[in-house]
Amino acid sequence: MLRNLFSRKKQQQEITFLAPLTGSVVPLSEVPDPVFAGKVVGDGAAILPTEGVLYAPVDAKVTHLFPTHHAIGLSTDSGLELLMHIGIDTVKLQGKGFTPFVSVGDQVKAGDKLIQFDIAVLQESGCPIVTPIVITNGDVVAEKNVVAQGNVAAGQQPLMTVVLK
Amino acid sequence: MIQFEVTVTVEGGLHARPAALLVNRSAQTQSKITLNKGEKQVDGRSILGIMTLGATQGDKLLVSVDGADEETVAASIQQLFEQSFQS
Repeated sequence: MLRNLFSRKKQQQEITFLAPLTGSVVPLSEVPDPVFAGKVVGDGAAILPTEGVLYAPVDAKVTHLFPTHHAIGLSTDSGLELLMHIGIDTVKLQGKGFTPFVSVGDQVKAGDKLIQFDIAVLQESGCPIVTPIVITNGDVVAEKNVVAQGNVAAGQQPLMTVVLK
Repeated sequence: MIQFEVTVTVEGGLHARPAALLVNRSAQTQSKITLNKGEKQVDGRSILGIMTLGATQGDKLLVSVDGADEETVAASIQQLFEQSFQS
């Protein structure tokens, strides 16, 4: 509190990310892949989906879409970069079971459908379906709070809030 | 500026783990790093960019390093690819 009195007053923007999937919230540290669990790619949360649809958690531009459609990168106007990676090791599926509804360059609104995926196909191939949702440019983040726990419904409630530096 | 070609030998291509290693290496430098796969160019400091380059095993990439420490950076990146990102 005191720090704000003496430091240059800068409006801190808070961004709310809605749950992009319907399922249950999993701490990132429990994701069965050290690259995500160790926050190497970024910090955030993960969801174990019960429905095979990934929605936009926030208004953003689609800046990256993996050629195999199993992961997508979004950029918000506020400068945050978000990566949502459906399942673990799903790159080996070479796109099987994934249907994208957007293209790179598209402007999406929170709640828009991004990718549809077949949970059965993923499970049959032995891929964990837990989906990490991480901020890849953490250097602009001052604070990150995962506000949801347990079960979440896509687009209905916030998953996490981020305060920018 | 230094430019050199590398071959992606890591199994699974430039997915999350190798991309993260490459970004960590790039972040420690003062140089600008770009990766080219055919006509597609991405910033070597952007993990999303590297991952969506779609570089699979066997692909050849052109790496460009431009900056004060370009020689050491170029050598370091070349080594990463040669060792298939085992580190």
